[in-house]
Amino acid sequence: MHEVSLMQNLLEVVTRVAAKEGCDRVRVIHVRIGEMSGINEDSLRFAFDVLSKGTVSESGALEYERVPLMTRCRGCNGEFHPNDLVFSCPVCGGMDCEIVSGREMEVDYILTDDDTGMEQGDACGCNSVE
Amino acid sequence: MHEIHVGTDLREKNRLIAEENRDLIRKNGVVSLNIMSAPGAGKTSLLVNTIPHLRDRYSIGVIEGDLQTSRDAERIAELGIAVYQIQTGGVCHLDASMVHSALHRLDLDIIDLLFIENVGNLVCPAEFDLGEDARVMLLSITEGDDKPKKYPLMFRESRLLVLNKVDLLQYVDFDIDKAKGEALDINPDIEILELSCKTGEGIDGWISWIEKFYGKCRNG
Ligand SMILES: Nc1nc2c(ncn2[C@@H]2O[C@H](COP(=O)(O)OP(=O)(O)O)[C@@H](O)[C@H]2O)c(=O)[nH]1
Ligand SMILES: [Mg+2]
Ligand SMILES: [Zn+2]
Repeated sequence: MHEVSLMQNLLEVVTRVAAKEGCDRVRVIHVRIGEMSGINEDSLRFAFDVLSKGTVSESGALEYERVPLMTRCRGCNGEFHPNDLVFSCPVCGGMDCEIVSGREMEVDYILTDDDTGMEQGDACGCNSVE
Repeated sequence: MHEIHVGTDLREKNRLIAEENRDLIRKNGVVSLNIMSAPGAGKTSLLVNTIPHLRDRYSIGVIEGDLQTSRDAERIAELGIAVYQIQTGGVCHLDASMVHSALHRLDLDIIDLLFIENVGNLVCPAEFDLGEDARVMLLSITEGDDKPKKYPLMFRESRLLVLNKVDLLQYVDFDIDKAKGEALDINPDIEILELSCKTGEGIDGWISWIEKFYGKCRNG
């Protein structure tokens, strides 16, 4: 699946944020992954172990928060967790439902050491001249 | 420890490039379809069977996504159609930036209809907006009628579901009404066509679906 390319994006984001904050080591990376995102936790962790080598995230921990799938019925506005991935409203039986959560793939926050003794970086964490 | 809020969606970069693609496609008056399915469901066969019916009236372009090979692109090129091959090098889906480079290599101002054959995979392609006008998903009846429930996102994100290989219905245990019913449970707006690339049954319906969709995109 696409855990590898997702992890590349993730590490790029974290590296940029860390550089901007002037820290050279990230302790925790908290990600939120939706139930319906198609992401496999083990594959994501594996990609993290391999790809984080040599980055600020190398010695950090990947915290994985699974966000349940929730849908909202456009008929009665009720929110529910669809059973069996069939999106029919348990209240009114309506089939016209939108996804409220469960498709997330995001870096929520990172934790770094309190004082890294480094100066704040430039606005852009990118090393290369673009 | 010090907490730094990030809140970045990991698909954000893809989304931005997809918007650029959409602008580029619109500006050039191109109508584009992203064709998605599991490997072997018949995406390339469908294109090969579709092109002869449309080429008199539309200038056609094809972007072929493949893990490693260029076999599919060669099948299209044999028809004398402009085709650009993306080899993803093992990446299991096309993303917007791959398609973006392909768009720059095609002669967009003469193309009317652009088909994008995605990498064969029922999960990941659904997550990546390419900037296309519509997504078409192929399900071949040899894959089993339980696919809608197993891969709901793909069904939710598609405008049209094409059930392919109906010539084999008598040989396999595929409940076509059940599959359609479940697809509609997941996505009440999905349109469904049945066809066979082998016998040509149902191709007419698919051709008129494309014509109607093309008209709708062009006339707003
Ligand atoms: N019996 C039958 N075979 C088909 C049909 N459509 C495609 N195929 C076969 O399915 C295989 C995979 O087709 P291909 O177009 O390469 O699938 P793709 O991987 O989705 O591009 C080929 O051997 C085709 O000949 C069909 O409608 N009926
Ligand atoms: Mg193919
Ligand atoms: Zn309801």
